[in-house]
Amino acid sequence: MAELEWGRRYLMCPPEHFGVLYEINPWMHEEVAVDPDRALAQWEGLRDTLVAAGATVELVHQTAEVPDMVFSANAGIVNASAVGGPQFVPSHFRHAERQGETEQFATWFDDAGWTVDRLPTELDHEGAGDALPFGGVLVSGYRFRSDQQAATHLSRLTGAPVRSVELVDERLYHVDITFCPLSDRHAMGAPMAWDRYGRQVMEALVPEPLWLTDDEALSFCANSVVVGTTVVMPVTPVRVGRQLEAWGFDVVTCDVSEFLKAGGGCRCLTLALDTPLGPGPAGTTGPG
Amino acid sequence: MAVTETYELEGHIVDSLLLAKVLDLVLESGADYRLELVDIGRTATDSSRVVIEITAEDDEHLLRLAEQLQVHGVNPLQHDPAVLEEAATDGVLPTGFHSTTNLATEVNIGGRWVPVVNPEMDCGIVVVPGADGGPAEVRTVPMHRVRAGDQIVVGGLGVRVRAPRAPKGASSFEFMDSDVSSEKPKGLQLTALVERLQAAREAGEKVLVVCGPAVVHTGGAPEVARLVRAGWIDVLFAGNGFATHDIESNVLGTSLGVSVTSGAGTEGGHSNHLRVINEIRGHGSIAAAVEAGYVGGGVMYELTKRGLPFVLGGSIRDDGPLPDTTTDVVAAADRMRELVPGVGVALMLATTLHAIATGNLLPGAVDTWCIDINQAVVTKLADRGSHQARGIVTDVGPFLRQLADQLGA
Repeated sequence: MAELEWGRRYLMCPPEHFGVLYEINPWMHEEVAVDPDRALAQWEGLRDTLVAAGATVELVHQTAEVPDMVFSANAGIVNASAVGGPQFVPSHFRHAERQGETEQFATWFDDAGWTVDRLPTELDHEGAGDALPFGGVLVSGYRFRSDQQAATHLSRLTGAPVRSVELVDERLYHVDITFCPLSDRHAMGAPMAWDRYGRQVMEALVPEPLWLTDDEALSFCANSVVVGTTVVMPVTPVRVGRQLEAWGFDVVTCDVSEFLKAGGGCRCLTLALDTPLGPGPAGTTGPG
Repeated sequence: MAVTETYELEGHIVDSLLLAKVLDLVLESGADYRLELVDIGRTATDSSRVVIEITAEDDEHLLRLAEQLQVHGVNPLQHDPAVLEEAATDGVLPTGFHSTTNLATEVNIGGRWVPVVNPEMDCGIVVVPGADGGPAEVRTVPMHRVRAGDQIVVGGLGVRVRAPRAPKGASSFEFMDSDVSSEKPKGLQLTALVERLQAAREAGEKVLVVCGPAVVHTGGAPEVARLVRAGWIDVLFAGNGFATHDIESNVLGTSLGVSVTSGAGTEGGHSNHLRVINEIRGHGSIAAAVEAGYVGGGVMYELTKRGLPFVLGGSIRDDGPLPDTTTDVVAAADRMRELVPGVGVALMLATTLHAIATGNLLPGAVDTWCIDINQAVVTKLADRGSHQARGIVTDVGPFLRQLADQLGA
């Protein structure tokens, strides 16, 4: 097993204006209040855990009209290995409530000297929330938040081969709640979230999978951040923790319960800035 | 009515099993597909592209399916619309007009594929705007019927032709698809034709028969008359000669002066057909002669009695001609065109010129059977664009008797 070649540099957004102010997924309920102090403490706890595991964290700041910007995973797609310097493809959010985030994130990357490439405006894609690299391909979820066709454009822009996987359970609306790359060979996945074709694709893709039961999947445990051999999890079901440790991972449970009220866990609160996309190693994948 | 539209799907669709999923969804919905183009990327990073033609039972079915497929990245293929040009002069197509085939053809008008109502080879295509913003009608138009101001399709953009599909599964017709040959088991060919005519009757398709004078000379005319009487034939195209000899044989018992029963020549027989034509001319029409009791049987008699339409196309060689013969060939062709809609099966019996003339007017979808002792007739027909023609190389007289017997006429 080799460690993931990415996951040591993150962009995070402190919860300065976070709250459940609208409902755009089954977890959000406006009547459930977020405790701002507790949220900030949890967010700082996550940031400190990542730093302690060996990651660096950069910050982007939100404004009041975009409370969900704390979920920086949805900012866009990062291609750290792009020819000609690091590349960022900003998301197009499906819901009007989050569309204001696009230019705020794009500005941050532009200011930081990244190349910012755009998707066609008519296609939705919610960034790393719906696309994670594994096995030389970009696993891209579609239906609830992202359009399948956006994957084709992402592939064109970044050079990454894409595996499109249809998401079928609205509670697991982003691919990063259903799938977590752990190493070059290991990954967690939630088959309940994928249609039967998607399951076949994922079974073929992951050499050593940890398939989650429905209850485990709905606990959001796949929405974890991996730094080297440390897995930072919002919730750790007993069986899952045991298996990860058996594989040699250090498991850290990081309470982000204030953010779970909005349907987001550890992964959602981070955007890896060091994901290399583009063509995978020769011979690892089939045609088109 | 079944509707067909073309879609495309692009990306990493093979490894993602998207293509498999999309095709499964099409079939599960009860629709059918045909892959028009499959361009599979060679490496993992190359994207693939497929063009899928989907046929559903109606517009609503197709629309529902298309909405479902769109989620998976399937979009209607963008086509260039057809280019139209106004005809400047009556009877003259714009230069560069699209010249038609007899195959099912569709024209892209405002992004929608509109089928040509009446496929016919060697015509232009006219687009008639729909009333009150309704859908446009698209028709073939022979050169002489173009009128100044007609919107005519020019060039090949926005026009697509559907090649006939190979029939699926084993069917009794399949063995007929090989080259025309006299060395074929006639019994099997006959059975296939009988089944096709029975299928036409069940489907409410019209059967067109095109007859040459040899049908009468070989003794086949009474069999054609039987078929008309029993309702197996709906419309007849022929020339002055066939009608003349059919009437001659019924009134005088000869065909071109030769006894149809004994095969012997008769005294003064060479003028028999002229005398018959003269009498019919005296009555004013075949129908009037039938009414007056001058004609008491035969193909023309049965058609007239049953009120079935026929067209007798004239030629320079014609004697008389009969008053029913249309000597203006352009008018005759137009009259034939009017009778073509609804025809499902055409039988060309022992005629070269009328078979080719009719073949020129028929849509490629009409099942065309050419029964002739000369195998070159079928070849000629196919060479002139009627690729759908099947041939049975045999003597029409005995063949028609067997056909009428098997159909229980």
